[in-house]
Order: sequence, then C-alpha cells, then structure tokens
Amino acid sequence: MVGPVLIVGAGVAGMTAAVELADAGVHTVLVERLSTVGGNALRLYKAFPTDDCFFCFEGNRWRPGIRKCFYRSALTDQPNIDLRVNTTVVDISGTPGSFTVRLRTEPTYVDPKKCILCGLCTTRSEAFKLSSPQCQPQTVSVDPTLLDDEARRVASECPTHAIDLDATPSEDTLVVSDIVIATGYHEFKPQGVQEYGYGEHPNIITQLELAEMLDPTGPSGGVLLRPSDGAPVERVMMVQCVGSRSVDHFPFCSKICCVFALKHANIIAQEHNGIRVDVVYMDIRTYDRHERYYRMARRAGVGFIRGRVSRVVPRDDGRLDVVIYDSLLDQYLQYEVDLFVLSSALEPSEGTAALISQLGLQDRSGFVAPVEDGSVDGVMAGDHVFVCGTALGPAEVPESVTQARAVVSRILQGGV
Amino acid sequence: MAEKSAVLLCTCGGQLNLDYEALVDRLGEMELAGHVEVHDLVCQPDGLDVVKRLLAEHGRLVIAACTSQKLKPRVDMALQHDGVTAPLITYVNIREQLAWVHKPSPEATEKALDTVHGAISLSALAEPPSVVCKDLPRHVTIIGAGIAGLECAVNLSRLGYSVALLERSDEVGGHLRRLPVIAPTGRSGPEVLGPRIDAVMSSDRIDVMLGVDVKFVEGEVGSFKVHYTADGSQEDGVIETSAVVLAMGFKEFKPTMMDEYGYGRNPDVITQYELSTMLSEGRLERPSDGGSVKEVVMVQCVGSRSEQFKRDCSKLCCTFAIDNALELLERDPAIRVHIVYMDIRVPFENEAVYRESREKGVDYIRGRVCSVWQSGNNTYLRLYDSLMDQYFQLSPDLVVLSSALLPPDGVEELAETLGYAVEYDGHVKELYGKLRRVETRRRGVFAIGAVTGPQFVSEAITDAQAAALLVHAELQGGRIETVPRGAVLDLDSCVGCSLCAQHCPRGVPLMIEQDGGADETEKIQFKAAIDILNCHACGVCQSLCPSGATELNFLTNEQLWAQTKGALSHAGRDRPVTLCFYCEECAASTIDIAGTLHMEYPASTRLIPVPCAGRVSAIDILRAFEYGAATVMIASCEKNRCHMGGTGNEIAQAQVDVTKEILSAIGWDSRRVEMYRMFSAEPERFRSAIAEMVERAHDLGPTPVHLGTAGQWKEVVS
Ligand SMILES: Cc1cc2nc3c(=O)[nH]c(=O)nc-3n(C[C@H](O)[C@H](O)[C@H](O)COP(=O)(O)OP(=O)(O)OC[C@H]3O[C@@H](n4cnc5c(N)ncnc54)[C@H](O)[C@@H]3O)c2cc1C
Ligand SMILES: Cc1cc2nc3c(=O)[nH]c(=O)nc-3n(C[C@H](O)[C@H](O)[C@H](O)COP(=O)(O)OP(=O)(O)OC[C@H]3O[C@@H](n4cnc5c(N)ncnc54)[C@H](O)[C@@H]3O)c2cc1C
Ligand code: SF4
Ligand code: SF4
Ligand code: SF4
Ligand code: SF4
Repeated sequence: MVGPVLIVGAGVAGMTAAVELADAGVHTVLVERLSTVGGNALRLYKAFPTDDCFFCFEGNRWRPGIRKCFYRSALTDQPNIDLRVNTTVVDISGTPGSFTVRLRTEPTYVDPKKCILCGLCTTRSEAFKLSSPQCQPQTVSVDPTLLDDEARRVASECPTHAIDLDATPSEDTLVVSDIVIATGYHEFKPQGVQEYGYGEHPNIITQLELAEMLDPTGPSGGVLLRPSDGAPVERVMMVQCVGSRSVDHFPFCSKICCVFALKHANIIAQEHNGIRVDVVYMDIRTYDRHERYYRMARRAGVGFIRGRVSRVVPRDDGRLDVVIYDSLLDQYLQYEVDLFVLSSALEPSEGTAALISQLGLQDRSGFVAPVEDGSVDGVMAGDHVFVCGTALGPAEVPESVTQARAVVSRILQGGV
Repeated sequence: MAEKSAVLLCTCGGQLNLDYEALVDRLGEMELAGHVEVHDLVCQPDGLDVVKRLLAEHGRLVIAACTSQKLKPRVDMALQHDGVTAPLITYVNIREQLAWVHKPSPEATEKALDTVHGAISLSALAEPPSVVCKDLPRHVTIIGAGIAGLECAVNLSRLGYSVALLERSDEVGGHLRRLPVIAPTGRSGPEVLGPRIDAVMSSDRIDVMLGVDVKFVEGEVGSFKVHYTADGSQEDGVIETSAVVLAMGFKEFKPTMMDEYGYGRNPDVITQYELSTMLSEGRLERPSDGGSVKEVVMVQCVGSRSEQFKRDCSKLCCTFAIDNALELLERDPAIRVHIVYMDIRVPFENEAVYRESREKGVDYIRGRVCSVWQSGNNTYLRLYDSLMDQYFQLSPDLVVLSSALLPPDGVEELAETLGYAVEYDGHVKELYGKLRRVETRRRGVFAIGAVTGPQFVSEAITDAQAAALLVHAELQGGRIETVPRGAVLDLDSCVGCSLCAQHCPRGVPLMIEQDGGADETEKIQFKAAIDILNCHACGVCQSLCPSGATELNFLTNEQLWAQTKGALSHAGRDRPVTLCFYCEECAASTIDIAGTLHMEYPASTRLIPVPCAGRVSAIDILRAFEYGAATVMIASCEKNRCHMGGTGNEIAQAQVDVTKEILSAIGWDSRRVEMYRMFSAEPERFRSAIAEMVERAHDLGPTPVHLGTAGQWKEVVS
C-alpha cells in the first residue's frame, strides 16, 4: 500500500510532489517549517528561463492549467493534501514502508481556513501582516513579539473568529509509507569571508537580497537604493563564486549562480536606466540555453572582469572601493561602486543534516546523496526515502520539479 | 432560452465598502435575477450552506465575492462533497477588482451592478454539462532506446503499461555503449546500462524493436497510430498506442567544415566521442599510423557558443573532456594533456574532478586554437593564450575536439505529423520551460533526455522517470471519467477551413476525411473533429472559426456577447467605459495581486474573464464597441508564456491587430483597442495599462456608436 506520504519542505519541489501524489490519489502530508509554502521562490521575484514570476508551480487535474500561482494553488482546500505549516519533524522511527514520524507544530495563531484577508486586523495592529501577496495559505501572519492590547481587541473582532492568540504548540504522530525530503537550500551568508566584508557594510549584499530590492512589490518598490543612505545606485558590481569553488568553504560549484547573477545584471542594465553593472568572475558558467543570458549581458553593456576581488574598502561618501586582480590583464584595478553583490554559494538548509542522520542516509557535500545502486539513480536516497529539488544539491526550478515528478513516479511504482 | 439565476453577494465579513442596499434593490429589478441575497462570509461553512441551498432552489447561481481563483476551489470542494460535480455558478469579483481598488462612489456601485448584470446574462444561457467516459489502451510508444528510452520503458511497465520501444540502430543503449566512464559515478556506460537492458529484455510488457524507422504518426492522445518501417522489410508496420515519448537523444557535431581544425582530413584530429569510443574499446593510438600517444590537445567549444553553428553551450563537454583527460592519464601517466578553453564549465561536484585534473597535471590554457596542420607524420597546432597574451605552438599526437552536441536527425520531420514544437536550436521544445519540461505542446507527446537539449545521464534518467508519471497522469490509468470543459464542434457548420487544426495551441482538432456525400462537387472533403477530453479549453478555435462551428461549452459566442452587453449597461456618451477582457491565467492573477495590494485605478472599467486571451475574436471586440465601450483592452500572459502551449496570446494579438485594421477602415481611431501582457510579479503592469486605456477613453471622447454616427465615417483619426 502506498501512502500516506510525508513530504518535508514545501518549496517548489515539495509542492510539486504533493500535487502530483494527490492527483494520483495518494494522501500526502506536506510539512513546512515556515508559515507559508514557496520556500526561496517567494523572495526571488523573476525566474529564468522564462523571465516571468517566480511564484508558480504546476496546476493539477483538479486545478487544470499548466501552472498556478502560489496564492491561487488552493493547497488548503485540496483533497489528499494535508498541509502543515510552522511544522517540523521531531523524530522518525519504524521501518521503511511504515515509518512513524513525530511532528511538532508551532502556533500560527490564525486559522488559515477561516482567515478571509478582510483587512480588519492588519489595518489596526502591526502584529498582523500579510507576509506576501503570494503567500499560501492566504492568511495573515502574526508576529507574537508585537502583540499589544489593540491586537487582542481586534483579535476578538475578527469576523470569522480566525484568531486565537492563546494557541500553543502541538505534536502529532503519524505512520507513513514513504518520505520525501524537499528541504531545499539556504543561501550562504558569507560573514567572515574576509575579502568581501559581508555584514560589515550595508551596501555589501547577496544576490537573494538584491532580488528583494529588484522586486517591484518589495520594500523599495523595485528601485535600487543604497541600503546605507538611500541614495540612488549608479554602479553595481557582482562577484561570482563567493564561498563556492573554494577549498575553505564549499569545494563545489553552486551551478546556477552565474545564471541568476546575469539574470539580475540584465534586469538592471535593461530596465534601470543608467546603472552600470560589472561582473567579476573566474569562469562564466551559463549552460545550454542559459548562454542567452550571457549574450544578452554582453549586448546590454554589462562589464566582465576575469579575476578575483582582493579588497573592499568603504569610503566616506557611501561608496565602496573595490580592488580586483584582473587575470587577463595581469593587473590590479580599482573600482568605485555603490552596491557590491555577492553571488553566494547554495548550502543545504538547516535541518537537512538531522534528517540525513535520523534516516541513516548518505550525504554529498552536505546535501542528501542519492543511493549508489550502480545505476545513477537520481532521486532515491534510501529504502522508501526520496529526495528532490535543491535538497539534492544546487538546482534550478525546472530541474527541481522534474525531480519531484520522478520521485512521485517511483513512489507509485511501489517505492522501488 | 434565458434562465433566471440567484445572486449571492458577499460582504467579506462586513469589510467591503460597497453600497449593498442599493445593489440589492437595483439587482432585484433585473429580469434575470431570480433572487438576491447578501451573506457576510460565503467561504465559511454557513456561507457554503447558503450556496448549496440557493443552487438547489434556483439551479443557477451568480456569486459576487472575492476572486474566483480562491473561492471557486472551496465552493467546488464543498459541493463535490455532496455529489454535485459541475454546478452552474458564475463568479463575479467585487473585492480584488472592485472594493479594494476603488473608493466608494456611485461609479463603483455602477461597476458592481454592471458586472453582476453581465454575469447573470451569461449564466442565463449556461447549459448543464454532463459526464463523459473514455477508455484508453494502456499502451505507450517510446522512440529511441538510449538510456532515457530504456529507463522510461522500465518505469512505464512498472506502472502497468505495455510499451513499444523503437530503436533505429541495431542495438539498444545509445551513446552510453561507448562511454568508458560516466561522471560523476566512475562507472562505465555499459555498467550503467546493464541493469536497465536486463529489465527491458526480461519484461513481457516491453516490446523492443530494432532497426525501426518511424515514418509518420496519425491520431491523437489515446489513439495514435505510429507508422514505421523495419530493416529489411518493405512493408509498413503500424502500432496503435495512447501516448508517444520522444527519446531520440543527440548527435555529435562533425566539424568537417571548420577549416582551422582539419577534422576529416587529418586522421589524428578526432572528436571526444571518437576518443571515448577508442578508450572504451581499450585502444589508444594515433589513428594515422598507430603510433603511441604522448601528447594530446583537447579543444573546447568546437561549434558551440558560436553564431555559426550552435549559439549555446553544449553543457557536458567540459565535464567529459576532463573525464577523458583523466582516463588518458589513468592509462599512461606520462601523457601530456592540454585543454584549450574559454570558460571551464563543470557543475556542482564535477568541480572536484576538475581540481583533481589540475592536480594531476592537466594543462589548462585559456585561449583559442588558431590552426591545426600536418607536416610529415606530425600534427602541429597554433594557439593564442589569452592569460599570457601570447601565441604558442604545440605538436600533439592527438587533437581531440569537444564538439557541439546537436539534436538528432529527424526531429523536424517527426514534428510535422506529431505536432510538437521545435526550439530554435532544433531540439524538441518543452511545453513551458520553468515547470513543464518533459511535456510538449502536443497533448500525449512527451520528450525526455538529450532530445530536449544536452543532458547528463542522471538528468536523462530523471526525465524518463518523470515522464512515466506524466504519461500515467495524462492517461489517468486508462479510463477518463469527467465533466468535460472545452470546445464542442457542430459538424454541420464546419466549412473545412482547418484554421482550428492549424492554430490550436495543443494540436487537438484533427481534419478527418468525410465519406461520400450526395453531390461530389459540393462535398467538403475534410472536416474538423475535436475530442473535448483532449481540449485545453482556451477558445482559440472558437475565435478563429469563420462559421461559428466550434464553441467552448461554458462560454459560447452568445454567452460572451450577452455578458459584454450586460457589463456595459451604464456605458454611454457621458460614461466612457473601458472594457478589459482578461485571461484567467497570468492576467487574472496580476489583477488579483494589484487588488491585494490595493492599487487604485478608475471605476469606469469593466473586467470580463476569458480562459485564454485567444478566446477573444475581432467580432467580440467589435461587439463591445457596439454595446457602448469607449476603449477595449485585452490582458494576457507574457509573449511565449501563454498557458495554452505558448501561442494562445499570439492569436489574441492577431485578433487585436485585425480589429485595429477594421476600426481604421471604418473611420474609427484604432487606439481604442490594445493588447497588454503581464504577470503577477509586476502588478503595476496592469494598473498602468488600464489607466492608459481609461485615459484614451476620455481623450478620444464618445465613439461613433455613442454619437449615433457609426457607419457614417465620422470619427477623425488623428
Ligand atoms: C539568488 C537566487 C536566484 C535564483 N534564480 C533562479 C531562477 O531565476 N530560476 C530558477 O529556475 N532557479 C533559480 N534559483 C534556484 C531556485 O531558488 C531553486 O531551484 C528552487 O527555489 C528550489 O526549490 P526547492 O523546493 O528545492 O527548495 P526551497 O525553495 O529551498 O524550499 C525548501 C522548503 O523547505 C522548507 N524546509 C527546509 N528545511 C525544513 C525542515 N527541516 N522541516 C520543514 N521544512 C523545511 C523551507 O522552509 C522551504 O520552504 C535561484 C536561487 C538563488 C539563490
Ligand atoms: C563524449 C561524451 C561523453 C559523455 N560523458 C558523460 C559523462 O561522463 N557523464 C554524463 O552524465 N553524461 C555524459 N555524456 C552524455 C550522455 O551521453 C547522455 O546523457 C546520454 O547519452 C543521453 O541519453 P539519451 O537516451 O537521451 O540519448 P542517446 O544516448 O543519444 O540515445 C538515443 C537513442 O535513440 C536512437 N534514435 C535516434 N533517433 C531515432 C529515431 N528517429 N528512431 C528510433 N531511434 C532513434 C539512437 O539510435 C539512440 O540509440 C557524454 C556524451 C558524450 C558525447
Ligand atoms: S555557478 Fe558560476 S558563480 Fe556559481 S559557483 Fe559555479 S562558477 Fe561560481
Ligand atoms: S560545456 Fe564547456 S566545452 Fe562545452 S560548450 Fe560549454 S563551455 Fe564549451
Ligand atoms: S479550445 Fe483551444 S485547446 Fe481546445 S480545441 Fe480549441 S484551440 Fe484547441
Ligand atoms: S501563473 Fe502566476 S506566478 Fe506564474 S507567471 Fe503567471 S502570474 Fe506569475
């Protein structure tokens, strides 16, 4: 018997696995640590290779269409999907085919099925907000640290009585036939990688932070301003392989950072008038049709400097002096920039290591490793244990969702 | 026949700032409103009970509430729970498209009234749908028996399907047969293939056919007929099958036309695959004279990343060049290997292999090879080193070209009868690059492995496994039972023009030869046939059909026109109104997100949903003008990102262009109609588009219809 299936992590990979299983009639429990599904995608604005939003995944038989935005994916109303947000796996026991899992759910304070987003609480108290217009479940979230009297008052006025500020954590134990690990990645925060000065100056940011700045529905409304003083940005410099391809940090190549850096460089060069972008790199790795982004960048006037950054020094006028060794010219060059953007490595997300050890799996540079059964099998991590998306290693969305479908395929074949 | 509908208005917990009293009064006066009721929380259990009651009492219902994108799934679930599968409900968005974006005003009330008026007019003409069943043979045909085809066959057989696995050559396994090592596994190609070939050969569900050439394919999902010829046989064979999986792999570029390398003339210049083949056969020698190999130069990006041959990167060749370099050193550590490159591209942990190769002494030269020539028994090579800014000369025993990976032969030819789209680089085009990689434009046709673009073995395998699932989902295990939404064809009205068959984004309509009519001269030879179960319900065929023969069963021409007329009730000379037809995919969500963000725009706007922008015909737009619209806009997904196989919105664009021409021809200002593309990450696109069309409505003033001068050549085009 297949099912129920536990999916850990509701990024695009986990969500895809869930709707495919649901379509096939298999009951799934989709567990997400945060209060909304979507994972990193929710913060990334625009996606290659299609240059539209980052906010969709596939529709399913019951919501036909080739893709659906997160906000209208109706995950809380789907048959066969039991979505549990604010939830983590405490422990796993039992045997393959019949695992016993203990889940812990932190309170969300708002019942997602009851919240209608009417706006009453959000207009009255800071404690309530809509985390993103694309969040799913579509419900307000609560910041418990901001709860005051007004918050309590408005809670009692909620027209659907969706708010329960006295909610407490709960635990639940389930038996599942298969486990899918879709815990994704975390963008490495390069604090302490000396030459880049991340964390020491507000104008030194990562690509993910840049994506949030470029997002027209984000905090800055899509305008590039220096975080330090709000002055308009005139020069951006990106540096590749931060933490990646480095024996001190991650020996691997994070595979997609060249493409997303150029995606961002092109958005800036083409849509933000007059801002100059330079990219410091060792090798530009734009595989297959992604080469288009490299061609576009060259055409749009993005500068490319092959070399390494040796020093970043803040100046009094809010700019940064960047010293670079250019390996083509065999020279040191100095640039003045407003925004210094680090294409930082993708590392396994927190908690992945615990799952690896609880389930006795192998790891591959910290990510979940596929089993080596001699046949290059990508998505199987153990007996009745599967893995997809960036939990397997750096991957783009198209790859992540294809892996998720491969997982479902294998589960329906009996977990072999 | 016009039926009355009940109308249910939601106040969203009493938080929507609309004049409900006026709405109830004035809606009550409308002839088609059988009953009007207000509820505070339609989406909550009490409200859902009201929906059930009203539906039971009145048969058809209009719900004016929040976006249907969110409400409809919940209502559907609640009704399904009671066994109601296809309710006659029409949704009107008075929250994201109204109360959240307009200040309370008489105009906002008018918009609400008009929009509901449109909806009850549409609802009045709705036909109750019925359930349809269809059985599909559980049989799939896979073309190509490389690693992708083999893996897919095994997966499908485990899901209970019979498979015909067609291979053109006389052996299964594809390129992997000749690969001495597959990075990153360290195993050889045959080792990776072994278990799969065994599984295929021992399965009684999989029929392997070697030496087979597919000629053409007829039919559609559920009933394809694959015509082929087999080696040595003159007769055509036919396979009846429900779905087709393309797994034809790739072809290595043979750079004979690139003079600088001398490939094809100098036997010691070979490609990587030729080197792999040599190594997998245990040989290593100079092809020219069998001499020993002491120095090798590998040249990267041969044919790739060049405007002349292949614009893009071939993705794998850096990895396998390094593999082959290490394999050479394994055979003889004294061999000197140089790799001439522009960028070394090795993903993820292959970086470690790259590092290892550097440590083992592989010499990496960043630059370009200028020329290769022969002198006596030796080969010489001149190159430019861009790091040193210097020219060098080498005399290697072997020059190995990391040659581009191209689509296999025959992709274009098969596309002609199978109807999938082809990418600019000649590979099979995926349905939607971000999320639907292994499906193609054509329903029931899938593509896996290197035929979609260069792929690593692990990727080809993942594709194959995923495709097995998608085939299974498409065929629904062999039996489809559903209340179909889609195009219905009236055969008598079909004039055989084949526009639907040519332009359906998913390739659904087929042109079927008609048998003997009474009068040979008047007979239409071919007529369309549409299987509604395959239809994607976009309405493109409807907007193109010159005789109104095909119509969506939930949005007929009469329905859309009635809705348009109702929605424009208040439009007139002094009330310039902008009508927006929006697709229920990216445009609907862009409008919703603009609403969620409370982005204000004028209330002199009427929004009408269509499944795809391609549903809207020039006639629909002209009707809107006839009923009093001042300007009309169509909101769709981005170019190439249409949810209907990528092309529905291009049909919409064509309809808009035609309408502009018609308007110009009859003396109207063609700026009265426009098409806009959008996606929800940029809600401002919708706000500024509709603001622009409202401004044009004001600037251009009353239309000839308002002035009563239509047809009299009155409007001056500026
Ligand atoms: C700057 C940047 C730009 C990018 N741009 C693109 C692009 O343009 N196109 C593209 O295709 N790809 C892009 N990517 C990659 C893309 O983000 C990923 O491929 C995709 O988001 C991966 O989805 P996922 O589901 O595997 O992981 P994630 O999005 O990381 O989702 C994992 C989910 O699991 C949850 N989770 C983690 N651990 C646990 C736990 N222990 N218990 C419960 N829940 C847990 C997390 O909260 C998260 O919601 C980009 C990446 C970056 C960093
Ligand atoms: C030199 C070299 C080294 C490589 N090294 C590695 C490596 O180290 N690691 C790695 O992961 N990948 C490597 N690859 C890539 C690997 O070869 C591909 O991933 C793999 O072959 C893709 O499998 P496939 O089934 O899609 O295509 P193929 O292997 O090309 O198989 C396609 C099959 O379809 C058949 N066919 C084609 N057209 C038709 C038709 N019209 N009708 C019927 N049959 C047809 C062909 O005869 C063939 O048998 C390497 C490739 C090359 C060229
Ligand atoms: S993808 Fe590019 S930036 Fe990222 S680690 Fe690899 S080479 Fe460096
Ligand atoms: S993989 Fe390497 S050799 Fe192949 S085209 Fe890309 S950059 Fe060139
Ligand atoms: S409605 Fe669309 S998908 Fe259906 S047959 Fe017509 S054009 Fe094709
Ligand atoms: S379906 Fe939604 S999320 Fe996806 S591109 Fe369209 S608007 Fe954006």
